[in-house]
Amino acid sequence: MDCSKARELNLDGLRGRLASGSAAELREHLSTCAPCRDHADAERVLSEVLDARLPQHAASLALKRRLAASWPTSSRAAPAPRRIWRPAWAGARAIAAAAGVALVVGGSTAFFVQQRSELSQLESETVNDHLRMLGGTPLAQVAGGLHEVKPWFGGKLDFAPAVRFAGNDDFLLQGGAVEPFLDRRAAVFVYKRRLHTASLFVVQADGLAFPTSLRAGIVRGFSVALWKAGGQGYALVSDLNLPELLDLQAKIASP
Amino acid sequence: MRQALAHADALYNFARWLARDPVEAEDLVQEAYMRALGAAPQFEPGSNLKAWLFRILRNAFIDRRRRSQREASSRYVEDVDADGEPIEPAISELQLDQIRALVAEDVSAAVHSLPEAFRTVILLDLEGMTEAEVANVLGCATGTVKSRLSRARAALRERLAAYRP
Repeated sequence: MDCSKARELNLDGLRGRLASGSAAELREHLSTCAPCRDHADAERVLSEVLDARLPQHAASLALKRRLAASWPTSSRAAPAPRRIWRPAWAGARAIAAAAGVALVVGGSTAFFVQQRSELSQLESETVNDHLRMLGGTPLAQVAGGLHEVKPWFGGKLDFAPAVRFAGNDDFLLQGGAVEPFLDRRAAVFVYKRRLHTASLFVVQADGLAFPTSLRAGIVRGFSVALWKAGGQGYALVSDLNLPELLDLQAKIASP
Repeated sequence: MRQALAHADALYNFARWLARDPVEAEDLVQEAYMRALGAAPQFEPGSNLKAWLFRILRNAFIDRRRRSQREASSRYVEDVDADGEPIEPAISELQLDQIRALVAEDVSAAVHSLPEAFRTVILLDLEGMTEAEVANVLGCATGTVKSRLSRARAALRERLAAYRP
């Protein structure tokens, strides 16, 4: 492998996207070529800096409401759970009706079916909503711990979030909130560990691709865990490292 | 319905980096969704919905720029691809340390300083799209994406390494 090829493959190599043969050839080249090794280091540092430092902008709730209001309902979609997404936009009903006809005539119900990326969409939504929480979403008072937070959700949600972990010395329960999560409302529990914040979003899992067994990984620099239990979907996210997040997840998922 | 709306945050983030203005970014996202509704019959079942939405949004952005005659985006793209193979000066360990120490504001400024075509390919790559998906968004060949991404990352590294707070 020459230097030009090695540099072309460095980024894919760092991301584990190379076939085993190419990966081995690249490793061999890097072991003997300092300039290409430096190039690989530079690629790695840039990826780390972009993942950790490049600001991500989340859409405002007002924009999401407008989009939802302009979007047609579908017989294949799950029932809209909350009125927060109801039209508030001038002319929205007429647009939605026209668009709905276009969709049906076009036979494009498959437009809504994209199972392959459903999990990554859940992960992406989890990170975006966490960023919004970090942006200053007010939290319910929790002087009395979980016993105060859970009743606070009463009347704000159409389900009772099944969360028993009231926090401990390692993970302090900071508060709760009700926030949009995709097309529905989520109970949000916020835990703190040192300077790190972890957000737990709990929703009714109907129609969403929450995995029945734990799925965890790094998404845009954040540690994310998704799982489903008892008909509820759980999305846990933080800038904690993954082992620490999984420690918290185990406490939350513990019966 | 949920599937398309689930991309609202990612689309807005992309729009913010393209337009550099929150109000215009919101307009772009709304326009993209309205265009998507109108073009829904042309969406091929099983193809990539996210890439399709991103492509619509980027086209909306380019149309606006052309209308306002502020920037000839298509010519811009040709320009960044016409410079041959990337020539990247070596970056020292000291410079890598400096890059590691930069804060979000510095990184943000460096990304904004890139040509739109470079900024776009970096942002789509950060979205986790494959080169084929980015090619789908940009309407170009996969090889072009690979080359452009390499050049864009080299240009960004250079700017970050040269940054002095």
